[in-house]
Amino acid sequence: MNREAEGLVWHLGDWVISNTVITTWLIMLGFGLLALLLRLSGYQKPSSLHNALEAVLVAIETAVADVVPAAAVRRVLPFVATLWLFVLAANLVGLLPEMHAPTRDLSATAALAMLVFLSTHWFGIRAHGLGGHLKHYCQPSVILLPFHIISEITRTLALAIRLFGNMMSLEMAALLVLLIAGFLVPVPLLMLHVVEAVIQAYIFGMLALIYIAGALESNEPDSSNREENL
Amino acid sequence: MQLDWTTFILEIINFLVLLWILQRFLYKPVMASLDARQQRIKQETARAEQLRNEAEALRLQYETRLAEWAKEYEANRHQLEAELQQTRGKALDELRKSLLDEAAKKQVRDSAVIAAHETALIREAAAEAYRQAAQMLVRLASPALTEAIVEMFLADLAALSDSELATLRKAGQALIPESLVEVRAAHALDAAKQDSISQALATAAGRLLTPSFAEDAGLIAGIRVVVGECQLHANLLDELAFFRRRNRHE
Repeated sequence: MNREAEGLVWHLGDWVISNTVITTWLIMLGFGLLALLLRLSGYQKPSSLHNALEAVLVAIETAVADVVPAAAVRRVLPFVATLWLFVLAANLVGLLPEMHAPTRDLSATAALAMLVFLSTHWFGIRAHGLGGHLKHYCQPSVILLPFHIISEITRTLALAIRLFGNMMSLEMAALLVLLIAGFLVPVPLLMLHVVEAVIQAYIFGMLALIYIAGALESNEPDSSNREENL
Repeated sequence: MQLDWTTFILEIINFLVLLWILQRFLYKPVMASLDARQQRIKQETARAEQLRNEAEALRLQYETRLAEWAKEYEANRHQLEAELQQTRGKALDELRKSLLDEAAKKQVRDSAVIAAHETALIREAAAEAYRQAAQMLVRLASPALTEAIVEMFLADLAALSDSELATLRKAGQALIPESLVEVRAAHALDAAKQDSISQALATAAGRLLTPSFAEDAGLIAGIRVVVGECQLHANLLDELAFFRRRNRHE
C-alpha cells in the first residue's frame, strides 16, 4: 500500500500533506467558524446555539470536576474539552461522503496520544514540580520505576492504537458491508458508527482525563502544596 | 497502517492551534459568561436571602408588636371593666341609698298623712259624738236635772280646795260693789235654791254677794256662775264645750 492510496494529496517540499491533515484543518475551520459565529452573536442575549454550547461545556466541566481536584478544573478543562470535541468531530466526519475520519489514521491518533502523554506530565510537573512529579514513579518503591515507565509507554500506545483500531475497523466493516450488500443495508452500520464514534471519543477523553488526574493526585501527602502550585 | 511523521507533527500542531482557537474564542467567553451568570445568580440568591431574612425579621417584629398590642388591649380592657364595675357598683350603692332615703321619706310622709287622716277622722268622730251627745242631752234636759246639778254644784263648791277657794276669794275681793254676780240657769230656780246658791257663794268668796239670777235655755241643764273674772260652770253646755275643746287640743 503506497502513500497515494492512503490519501496523500499534495507535497510541500519534503512535507507530505495527507488527507488526514486536510480533514483536520476542515474540522478546525468548522470549530473556528463556530467560535466566530458565537462571538458575533454576542453573549448578552444567548441564542440556542449558545445555550447548546454552554450545556456541552458545563457537562464537560462537570465530568472534569468529578475527576480532578477543584482548583485544577479550569486549567485542565480546555485541553480535555478540545480533545473530546476534536475526537468526536474527527470520528463523525467519516460519515460524510468522500471523507475519512482522521482518527482512522494511526499518525493522528498517535499524535493525540502523544499530546495526552505530554500534557499528563505538563500538568503533573505544574502541580508538584519536576521533582515531586518524578518522585511518584519511585513510589511506593524504586523497584517499581521500570514498571511505571513501561506503564506510561504502553498506556500511551494503547490510547493511540485503541482509537485507531476501532475507527479503522469500523470504516472497513462499513466499506465491506457496502460492497457486499449495497444500498440501504449499511444504514444500521452507519448508526452504529455514530454510537461508536461517540463512545470512542468519550473513552479517549475520559482516559486522558484520568491520566491527568492521576498525575495531579499522584503525591497525595503533598496535596496542600499542590493546591498552592496550581 | 504506518506512522507518517509529517502527519504526526502536523496533527500535534493542528491540535495545539485548535486548542488555542477554542480557548481564545470559545472557552474563555463562554466560561466568562457562565461565571458572570453564576455570580449574578449568587448575588440574586444572596439578595433574595437577605430580603427573606429582612422579611422574616419584619414578620417577627410585626408579630411581636401584634402580641404586645393584644396584651395591651387586654390589659386596658380589664382595667376598663374594673373601672366600669367600680363605677356601676358605686352608682348602684348611691341609687340603693337614694331609694332607701326616698322610701324612708315616703314612709314618714305616709305616716304623717295617715296620722293626719286618723286625727281628722277622730275629730269628725268626736264632733259627731258631741253632736249626738248634745242632741241626746237636750232631749234629757229637765228642771229636775237642773236642780240635781245645782245640788252637785253646791256640794262641789263646799268641797273646793284651798287654792281654788283662794282664787275665788281673790276674784270676790276684786269685785266693785256695783258689779253683779250673775247666775244663769237653764231652768228657772226657786227661791230656796237661789238662797242656797247665794249663801254658798258668799261663804266661798268670803264676802256678801248679791247675785242676779237669769234663765238661759242654751245651757241645756245646770247653771253658770260669773264672779268677776271667775266663772263657775255647772251645766251641760259648758261641759260639752269643754270636751269639744279638749278633743280639738288632743
